[in-house]
Amino acid sequence: MTNKVFKWTFWTVLVAVLAIYPKLFGIYYTNLFVTFAVFAIFSVSFNLLLGYTGLLSFGHAMFFGVGGYGTALALKHIRGLALLPAVLIGLVSAMVLALILCPLVVRVSGTAFSMLHLAFGQLMHMLAYKLRSITGGEDGIGGFPIPSFGIPGVISIDMRAPENFYYFAIIILGISLWMMWFFTKTPFGQVQVGVRDNANRIGYLGFKVTQTKAVVYVVAGAFAGVAGSIYALFQNLISSGALDIFTSFTPVTMTMVGGIGSFLGPVLGAAIIQVMEELTTRFTEQVELVVGLILILVILFIPMGFMGLIRLLRQKWTVHSARTANPGRTS
Amino acid sequence: MNPTTAMYVAQGMHGLAYGMILFLVASGLNIIFGMMGILNLAHASFFMLSAYFSYQFLSMTGNFWMALLLAPVATAFFGILLERFLLRKIHVLGHMGELIITVGVSMVILAGVKIFWGTESLPLKIPPLLMGLVSIAGLDYPVYRLFIIALSLLVLAIMALLLYKTRLGKIVRAAVSDADMVNALGINMPLVFMIVFGVGTWLAGVAGVAIAPILLVFPGLADQMGMDAFVVVVTGGFGSLSGALIVSIIFGLLSSYGVQFISQFAPLLMFIFMAIVLAIKPTGFFGERE
Repeated sequence: MTNKVFKWTFWTVLVAVLAIYPKLFGIYYTNLFVTFAVFAIFSVSFNLLLGYTGLLSFGHAMFFGVGGYGTALALKHIRGLALLPAVLIGLVSAMVLALILCPLVVRVSGTAFSMLHLAFGQLMHMLAYKLRSITGGEDGIGGFPIPSFGIPGVISIDMRAPENFYYFAIIILGISLWMMWFFTKTPFGQVQVGVRDNANRIGYLGFKVTQTKAVVYVVAGAFAGVAGSIYALFQNLISSGALDIFTSFTPVTMTMVGGIGSFLGPVLGAAIIQVMEELTTRFTEQVELVVGLILILVILFIPMGFMGLIRLLRQKWTVHSARTANPGRTS
Repeated sequence: MNPTTAMYVAQGMHGLAYGMILFLVASGLNIIFGMMGILNLAHASFFMLSAYFSYQFLSMTGNFWMALLLAPVATAFFGILLERFLLRKIHVLGHMGELIITVGVSMVILAGVKIFWGTESLPLKIPPLLMGLVSIAGLDYPVYRLFIIALSLLVLAIMALLLYKTRLGKIVRAAVSDADMVNALGINMPLVFMIVFGVGTWLAGVAGVAIAPILLVFPGLADQMGMDAFVVVVTGGFGSLSGALIVSIIFGLLSSYGVQFISQFAPLLMFIFMAIVLAIKPTGFFGERE
């Protein structure tokens, strides 16, 4: 009962804080929060592969970038396209890419999977970089129209105002997060964890391992596409940089720092990395140095990430308090 | 020799030179992977680090040969530090941790290079002996590229002798097939791992010094070479040296003829080749494991 009350209070407070956030912190931090939210979703979609299915991808940026390019190109070339369909086009284009790749990549696992993605990611980056007539190369596509959100004739909200865009981005990303969470809680999500832990046994139980991986792969790609699409709208720009190797390593870093084992780990990781980057850029330009060092230190000392650390501490604390409460029972 | 043939031969030689450099980098990567199961994503960063070291030694001593000798050794020293103090500690966590920690190391090396040497391209002067052109059957060809081919062949010969004629080589070959068993036979495997890691990064170092005068020394050096080397290892098959050699030379030729005929899409040829090979045989040309 108290648990339920606690839950409702938590959600109400969270929604209230998110709602008044732009009023409290101003434009700069509002934009920072949107960036954080985009990368949090990107990392959670990456973690669907790494944490839930045990597939480490070094090319997740290709879905992010393709989602962004899908939205940007659609808005640039289709006149009068509404906002939600544009995001949907981003999602679908990333999904199509995942569908094209999945017959090839789901057959392998382990290091080969990582390397194959490194190569495909690089291939996509190269394509975006070279096909200047379509993608604009390094300069990218910028200045495409950002449509207003609304129901025709009823209401129209201008999305060029950062505050309005903040609400739009938060809602879309929140829905994505909820959908991914729901996805992992379905029976299918359990099969997915089974594939990670022991693929052979899941095969003997009569589930289709390869097909399971393929579905997860497509879902992870689609949500990375949503993140990329929102990112392109937010920046009003998408360039080949969104497909490069550093964008691919971003979710790896965030997920490792936050913790692979849990759903919200990557969100925490994204927050930590974002704050660290924000702090370091004030003192030095060497963001890579700081991120690299964090990565090394996290793997050396807290391999389960911060979420794992929290869990460990809580476990110790609860065991300790249980012991003091009724001595004689140890567990 | 008529101009068309001359072009074909010259491009072929260019491709061979690049292929041999690629092989030096990829073979180091491959030996480390074959033995320790670690795919060292910082390998190309060591390659770049060595190029910077050679620039530093050259500007300090003014002697290219000195730089060629010292820079790879200094690079290997850093490689050994990485193995001893980072990789060995997290070996129990499995491959994921090792892969990701090498990503962290490559970021740190990149940042370090930018701090010490800045971001602009640094030129490297080659000794007068290697400058100029040499005429082979009426075709003028830069001496330095021939030197690269010769150097790589020399290193390849040394490696082959080490691997097939010495006790250490025998241990390494045994460890590639089963490291645990070799360890159980009473051989100090951690030490062997350290040596192999050192040799692997040394190979990358030699390649870094050799390529520095052609490409200039800049922070982006690692990206291109690293990507190419990974593709070579994946396509040739993990842990297979002959596969790496053949694929390196194929890629060298592909890239040089590609630049000649379809310059804009030359970098794509390699990936297309890899995709075709992997679609047919997921373990790569000569690989037996994934």
